[in-house]
Amino acid sequence: MGLKPESTPQATTNTLSELDLNEPRSVSRVAILGRDYRGINFELLCEEGDRVTAGSVLMRDARRPEIVFTSPGAGSVARIERGLRRRLVSLQIDLNETVGITRYTAPETQEQSSLRAFMLESGAWTALRTRPFGNIPNPDGEPAAIFITAMESEPLAPAALPIINSFAAEFRAGVNALAGISAATLYVCHSKGNSLPVDESVNLRCVPFSEGHSAGLPGVHINALCPIGFGGGEVWHIGFQDVISLGHLLLHGTAWLERVISIAGAAVKGPGMFRVPQGASISDLLDAGSYQGPVRVVSGSALRGQAATGGEAYLGAGHDQITVLPETVTDTPENSGATTGVLIPNDALEDLAPPGIFPVPLMRALQVGDVDRARDLGALELVEEDLALLSYACLSKSDYGLLLRNVLNQLEGAG
Amino acid sequence: MANYYGNNSLSRIHKLQLLSLLPVSIAAVFNVGYQYLTALALNPGNGTDDFRSSLVRGLGASHQDPGFYDLLVAGLAHMVPILLVALIAGGVWERIIAEQRKRPFEPGYIVIALLFTLLLPGAAPLSHVVFGMSFAILVGKGVFGGEGKTFLSPALLGIAIVQISFPSAANFHPLWNGLAGYSGSEAIALYHRGGEAALASADINLWSAFIGITPGPMGTTSVFAIALGAGVLLFSRIIAWRLLLAQVIGLVVTATLFNILGSGSGASAMSANWHLLLGSFAFGAVYLACDPVASSCTNPGRWIQGFFIGALVVLIRVANPTHPDAVIVVILLASILAPLIDYAVISVNIHARARRHV
Repeated sequence: MGLKPESTPQATTNTLSELDLNEPRSVSRVAILGRDYRGINFELLCEEGDRVTAGSVLMRDARRPEIVFTSPGAGSVARIERGLRRRLVSLQIDLNETVGITRYTAPETQEQSSLRAFMLESGAWTALRTRPFGNIPNPDGEPAAIFITAMESEPLAPAALPIINSFAAEFRAGVNALAGISAATLYVCHSKGNSLPVDESVNLRCVPFSEGHSAGLPGVHINALCPIGFGGGEVWHIGFQDVISLGHLLLHGTAWLERVISIAGAAVKGPGMFRVPQGASISDLLDAGSYQGPVRVVSGSALRGQAATGGEAYLGAGHDQITVLPETVTDTPENSGATTGVLIPNDALEDLAPPGIFPVPLMRALQVGDVDRARDLGALELVEEDLALLSYACLSKSDYGLLLRNVLNQLEGAG
Repeated sequence: MANYYGNNSLSRIHKLQLLSLLPVSIAAVFNVGYQYLTALALNPGNGTDDFRSSLVRGLGASHQDPGFYDLLVAGLAHMVPILLVALIAGGVWERIIAEQRKRPFEPGYIVIALLFTLLLPGAAPLSHVVFGMSFAILVGKGVFGGEGKTFLSPALLGIAIVQISFPSAANFHPLWNGLAGYSGSEAIALYHRGGEAALASADINLWSAFIGITPGPMGTTSVFAIALGAGVLLFSRIIAWRLLLAQVIGLVVTATLFNILGSGSGASAMSANWHLLLGSFAFGAVYLACDPVASSCTNPGRWIQGFFIGALVVLIRVANPTHPDAVIVVILLASILAPLIDYAVISVNIHARARRHV
């Protein structure tokens, strides 16, 4: 099914300098994808054809105008693509380095308000996510804890440690800033045996997690350290590359416009790790000779990534891999026939479920759309990615991520 | 999301279930043949007016010094008619349900028919087979909306209704020897009356009970074959190992407690290995209690339900000599209680979630 790595790009070296990553892969177009920021009603502050500097403000949240989205690259706005109900699909920018880059001045003090204001104006705030629901947090929100996901457990994903070590100063600066935006404890969750360039303190803790499937999901870390109940509170989390980007802004005044990703999967020729522009066009990264046969391209991992097609064929926010899978006909008559829709419990589902969750009762509640029951069973602790393995293993072929999101939308609306 | 779905499917599960029943079926055929021919050797006039006896004779199987062919023919002559009738009855009802309810035809009844057949004695009248199988498909499966939506194992329901409806079904057919009607093997009642000596006089020892050359419902006698089948189901993770292990633990713990604390008379002195080998416990534990849809669906619930089954089987065997086997009734009760067990387990989980500070 393309999940067994034929060649894994997991780096064994300590830093990236030993990998041939000096020359970033160039693309002609980058984009911001609407689907990466759920629940946002985008208010556009630019038009097609506008020349924009890297890091300049392109859009903001109509409901919370302090939250702005900044340009992942310098150039001109090539296309603003909209989908159903005029939802933003993507804002695409043709790159042209001569346009220049916007500089931001790091705050002089480590005060909470100035750090938050800096993150908001520079667009770094949009990399934070809340749990429950997976939204961008409110600018004045108070989390019970903040989690930095400094590890990767997805199949074929690049290892986190070499990337962090290559940008150690930026990572440290980003971590220290995040420790300052709230009084809550900041947890840096990393693989067991790794030591990170972080100075621990009372409210900044490094927590090792054992490797294994799903071990790198923020949901797993949150469950272990600050589990979510029914109290109405929230925790925040952020990925390690976005922490590096925040540190880059603080140290150098400009956003880190690159990401280190792996391009891998059963159908790709020459898989490996690459430096690519943030939001890079996937069709530019994968030219015709770089894969074999009919393929399905996914931004993210095979299990939890999102299809990269049409106006959404760009590297998604927070994604650190592009997976190229051979297109297979999975809907054989046997699968698409009558027997679908039935949930046969077995104890293998128990191993694939997020920690602390009883999978079969939750899956049943999600299937029938029982919102209260799903909440009782822990739906607030979860987002789509946490249920990807259950969707994979359950022979009902239900997309439990989608069903969960329906339930979460109702819970969020009910307030 | 959900770019990929696994290659798991209902038909794969059915195939693995049939594969796991293959050793049990083979053991059943040869034991039925063996039981029939040895009974005939002792009393050649017994049961000869039965159509199955005519079939055995017509195919040239002889009870004098029976060989491989004789055993095979005698076994198939008894098992195949029951299986065929169960398949036809089940298939007809499946077809009717599919057409009346505008639902797709579900081939899962094949597994149910084989399970039901293996729970019957080789001499079961075909009318009873039709009755039990019809009940299994209609009430056990059809009214709940089909496979995966049931709350009891259909085959279990079928054998239970036959047990209740025909308590005195046994006639002079030799394959009823050593059986308490549809309730299963009489071996535990024998033990009640005379301990291991009574078993020995009926040619039942640990080895014959393990291999499965003792009287009993067709599929339940060979614990060895059932263990092979259980291996297939455990390896493919169709049944939950916790539930199976918990049943064995419940049985062993309770039997041992009775051995130590009991009166020493009747089945209270019966050791755990006899409890495991005699009667339908092994078959019921693997194929009926572990039905993935009809059992508890949380891990703590699986431990509780399994222990409950094992313990209650021993308790009824010891305390109620008129109900020598108890397995079918206990598993039926445990399956009915499974949602309640899950409810309790989930309540604990929800309360723990409510105590969190976020």
